[in-house]
Amino acid sequence: MFVEFAPGGAVVLPGGGVTVTPGGAAAMPAGRGQAARPALARRVLAALPPYLYLLPGLACLVVWTYKPIIEAVQLSFYHWNLLPTSPRTYVGLENYRRVFSLPQLRGAATNTLWYILGLLPFSIVVPTVIALTIRDLGDRARSVYRALIFLPILVAPVATAAVWRWLLDPRGLVNQALGLGHYNWLREENTALLSILAICAWQIVGFATLVVSAGLTGISADYGEAAQMDGASRWQATRWVTLPLLRSTLLFMLLMTVLLSAQWTFPLIDVLTQGGPADSSTNVYYLLWDFGFRSLDSGLASAAGIAFFVVFAAVAAVLVRLADRYSFADN
Amino acid sequence: MSSPGTSRGRTAASHALLAVLSLVSLFPVYWMFASAFRERGDTFDQSLVPWPLSLGNYRYVFDSLDVAGLLANTLVVAGVTAAGQLMVCLLAAYAFAAWDFRGRSVLFMAFVATWLIPFQVTMVSNYLVLSNLGLLNTLAGVIVPNLCSALAVIMLRQHMQAFPRELLDAARMDGRGSWTTLWTVVVPNLRPALASLSILLFISAWNDYFWPALVLQRANSVVQLGIRGYLTAEGDDWGAVMAASGLACLPILALYLAMQRQIIDAFVRSGLR
Repeated sequence: MFVEFAPGGAVVLPGGGVTVTPGGAAAMPAGRGQAARPALARRVLAALPPYLYLLPGLACLVVWTYKPIIEAVQLSFYHWNLLPTSPRTYVGLENYRRVFSLPQLRGAATNTLWYILGLLPFSIVVPTVIALTIRDLGDRARSVYRALIFLPILVAPVATAAVWRWLLDPRGLVNQALGLGHYNWLREENTALLSILAICAWQIVGFATLVVSAGLTGISADYGEAAQMDGASRWQATRWVTLPLLRSTLLFMLLMTVLLSAQWTFPLIDVLTQGGPADSSTNVYYLLWDFGFRSLDSGLASAAGIAFFVVFAAVAAVLVRLADRYSFADN
Repeated sequence: MSSPGTSRGRTAASHALLAVLSLVSLFPVYWMFASAFRERGDTFDQSLVPWPLSLGNYRYVFDSLDVAGLLANTLVVAGVTAAGQLMVCLLAAYAFAAWDFRGRSVLFMAFVATWLIPFQVTMVSNYLVLSNLGLLNTLAGVIVPNLCSALAVIMLRQHMQAFPRELLDAARMDGRGSWTTLWTVVVPNLRPALASLSILLFISAWNDYFWPALVLQRANSVVQLGIRGYLTAEGDDWGAVMAASGLACLPILALYLAMQRQIIDAFVRSGLR
């Protein structure tokens, strides 16, 4: 930390120094030769630089994230169809009541849960198994595999959707390989969600494997070997020594999967099924999008957005606490 | 312990497992290009190797879609977004790493928390703001709301905190101000980190889908929307759709070929995107 650029140091004033004085930026690097100024002004100037550096970023946050959240909370109490000419009607908690009683929304929430549960094996279990298996491979082989399994996450989501739509086309390769005739995977209620899930799993599994591998390289192989010297089997050493050391990585992946599954599947749903057939593949965020920009029901969309945000934030808080409780053993 | 035999068996099993995963990962990408290089009439051909090869699908795509325009627009969006994020977040990370100031941890949390807030919660208000500013259907409307990236702030702060203090102290002894120090001492030393972060930000912006889809309602704007429109318009012309999809991925794939190690490291370190 290099705190003092200006004579007098960055003594932070009680009450903070957020006041932006004109010319503050120019005065900041020099900051000297101000003996004539009152001490208070000098100290404000000295405290100013970090806030000035933060200013562009903070302005973005306020304008594009925090103010919109407040507005979303406000909108959630109104009925309004987004048209500037039409009036906003205050409806109190009506939107929230609708959120929790709409069968459509319950369906989307259930689907979201399925997406999360369905993706967990591909973001945690399979990657962990593979990462543990490949630990001892040579450098060259490993870097070739790394490059190949990482590829899917770089393919643009719409291109991913396009190629999978072609693979899953009634006359596509999947049907031909499985001998299923002209089955339409994305247009059948039974398989639309499953297809989206499979595509999303394809996108993330290689990437998750690399994240877990990176977590593993942080753990010295000596621990496991020492356990094996002491007579533990390979499985025992993995189960009782390596996996516990890996748990902060795994908890991180769990957190990501829970929070982001609905985001990852969003473009696939939009391009491939639009949530259909009969809402069988939609998820909470896609439904929000639908309320907001197709049905133009901004109040309902905002209320649902706030509700989901609160639920997801609560889940995240629990997971972060778990991570904190269990990560002390890592050091 | 383990005999050489079982260890060789295990290595073979590892290779088998990875080969299967690699094949699964690679095949759809291969299939995209394989379908694109078939002859125009062979749309529903399912042979694994396209033969005879043909550029017919590409020719058709270039005739029916403004590929150069789409790529240029996407390049502008991704390039300006990445550069803007890098600049904004470099300054913010510098403030967090180099000073102790009142409210530091609260403000840092304010940055980190944006990572938790889904785009879908803020989209209605942001859409209205852009509409009031007249930025709907403009590339600027895609770029401006994305200029701050929590991820970039977190990563850059980490790198700066690992920075040797002696260098900063020496700069201060020389009487350099914080602005000069940032550009003459910090940035040159962070070059590798900045490079990999900027690739990460560029790829993320290139592949971004939601926000462009909302702001740019016309299909002839960025590649993501171009392909989506094409997919609807051309329906079953899979050769052409695959050729267009391949073109949309090509710049990123080329970048990946050139610097795959840095790209993988940057993504893995950043967690998910």
